[in-house]
Amino acid sequence: MIKNIYVIAEQRKGSLRDITWEAVAAGKKLATDLGAELTCVLLCGKGGLIAEQLAGEVPKVLLVENPVFESTNSEAVISTLKELIKPQGSYLVVMGASNSTLDFAPGLSVALDAALATDCFSLEVKDGRLLASRQIYSYKINSVVSFKNSDRVVLTLRAGSFQFSPAGEAKGTITNEPCPIDESKLRKRFIKYVEAEKGDVDVASADIIVSIGRGIGDEPDLEMFQSLADTMGGVLACSRPIVDKNLLPKYHQVGTSGIEVKPKVYLALGISGAFQHLGGIKGSPLLIAVNKDARAPIFRVANYGIVGDLNEVVPALEEKIKSLKG
Amino acid sequence: MNIIVCMKWIPDTSEADLTVAAGAKDIKKDDLDHDINDWDRFAVEEAVQIKEKVGGKVTVVCVAPEDSEETLRECLARGADEAFQVWSDEMEGGDGYCAASILAKFIKNRDFDLVLTGTLAEDDGAGQVGGMLAAMLDIPSSTLVSKIEIHDKKASFLRELEGGLYESVETDIPCLISVATGLNEPRFVSIRAVRKVASIDIPNMGIEELGMDAGQVGQAGARLVIEEVSLPPEGEGAEIIAGKPEESAARLAEILKEKGALG
Repeated sequence: MIKNIYVIAEQRKGSLRDITWEAVAAGKKLATDLGAELTCVLLCGKGGLIAEQLAGEVPKVLLVENPVFESTNSEAVISTLKELIKPQGSYLVVMGASNSTLDFAPGLSVALDAALATDCFSLEVKDGRLLASRQIYSYKINSVVSFKNSDRVVLTLRAGSFQFSPAGEAKGTITNEPCPIDESKLRKRFIKYVEAEKGDVDVASADIIVSIGRGIGDEPDLEMFQSLADTMGGVLACSRPIVDKNLLPKYHQVGTSGIEVKPKVYLALGISGAFQHLGGIKGSPLLIAVNKDARAPIFRVANYGIVGDLNEVVPALEEKIKSLKG
Repeated sequence: MNIIVCMKWIPDTSEADLTVAAGAKDIKKDDLDHDINDWDRFAVEEAVQIKEKVGGKVTVVCVAPEDSEETLRECLARGADEAFQVWSDEMEGGDGYCAASILAKFIKNRDFDLVLTGTLAEDDGAGQVGGMLAAMLDIPSSTLVSKIEIHDKKASFLRELEGGLYESVETDIPCLISVATGLNEPRFVSIRAVRKVASIDIPNMGIEELGMDAGQVGQAGARLVIEEVSLPPEGEGAEIIAGKPEESAARLAEILKEKGALG
């Protein structure tokens, strides 16, 4: 039986990332359901202030300060968490699913001899058993998994799945732990942060976005989509596969790895609706999807949808918009 | 530079209509085409490009049954020097942890400098095998990697973070690198290139050759148990505008106007 739940806080450049609060929310719920003790672990360069933020929500914070944690160096993180957690014998380790935790959670699960379920969107304790829900097969199928040995489990949680607002009332304890690693022995080294190239199109502040995805096909008529965007008074954006194929530069890419947008209207053309893409769309715009695959996950979140061929729908749509605009 | 690429052979589900198989532990896969996981195709290309620059050998390995041979041959046509298919019937039903254990056994006794994988596979979407494998091999690993440069026992590259931010990272070699899609342009494979590799033997290795036992693979070796798979509930979802393309497009334009979305 799990007695210890560890929530791994995520910080970047000295600020907590929002996904930490979701992991705290999930951790608190699990601690109640399993009758376990909740501890938050914070690895950072200088962490006094954020450790206090966390102590406002959880009973116990373990703080390890070392310059190496100014970035998320997966090798340093894995060795440190192993030293802190493994001696407990049985543990549930919870963190947000992010590009940083993706770098260390799998290695950590091996180091802790634990099972791993990544990118879980829902957790449940049923008859004392932990069940985690994930999405598989291009995010089109839900899968509920359990753990053969539920004494040692690592979970990463999908952003936006566990709601939490910090109340700041917990008065938890903060314990400084010595950093167990020798920085000079690390085989992986962070050099610096690099910002993506900025372009001539400002997708982030556009009110109307026409966005294209893999479903536009291998030899798309980009002019057709640009023309629709122009007619609507909007900008052309895209999902990852379009950038991967060099059809548009990176600064057009909407998503967790690309640009966060907050438009009033988002017209998704040939976009399947992977959460990495949807994660970049904030502020609940009027979301319209056109896709030839009626099962595309985008239709579950869109307000309106058309199941059809883009080469037919897009020109007809532009023509009608032109006539309505007069 | 000896480079080992771990390739996953997966059902192409991106645009297929999926149905749940009896027993609700998996989907029906009989009618689905199988292919190289898209992320891994970029890994194969990157390995071949590194070889072309600094010399060496590219080995591709895939944990999958016999039907995967065609995709392994495609990797040879893409410029890999050798390809191995790793499979025993006992491996059926394994999870990412099993796959990593099998790959670790395959790689451990080989002379290697770099292990390349895709960051994610589109079937499980877990992004776990690379990191687990590196931990089992005790080498450093990184995910979502682009712009790889190799220089004298070190690899330097960019890692993708959120919101258009990257981190520049350096690791000692040997190391494992899980690539991001889009870091290169996978080459076009001509029929001639495929013919050229038609006679290359693709050896199969099973649990005996790897020195594993049945308890370490398949459902027996898995750490996760699939309780149930299902199609997500239809729920609220989009209001679908039906009709011929010009009719539905016209209706959509009117909706945009009603909502004040046309300025």
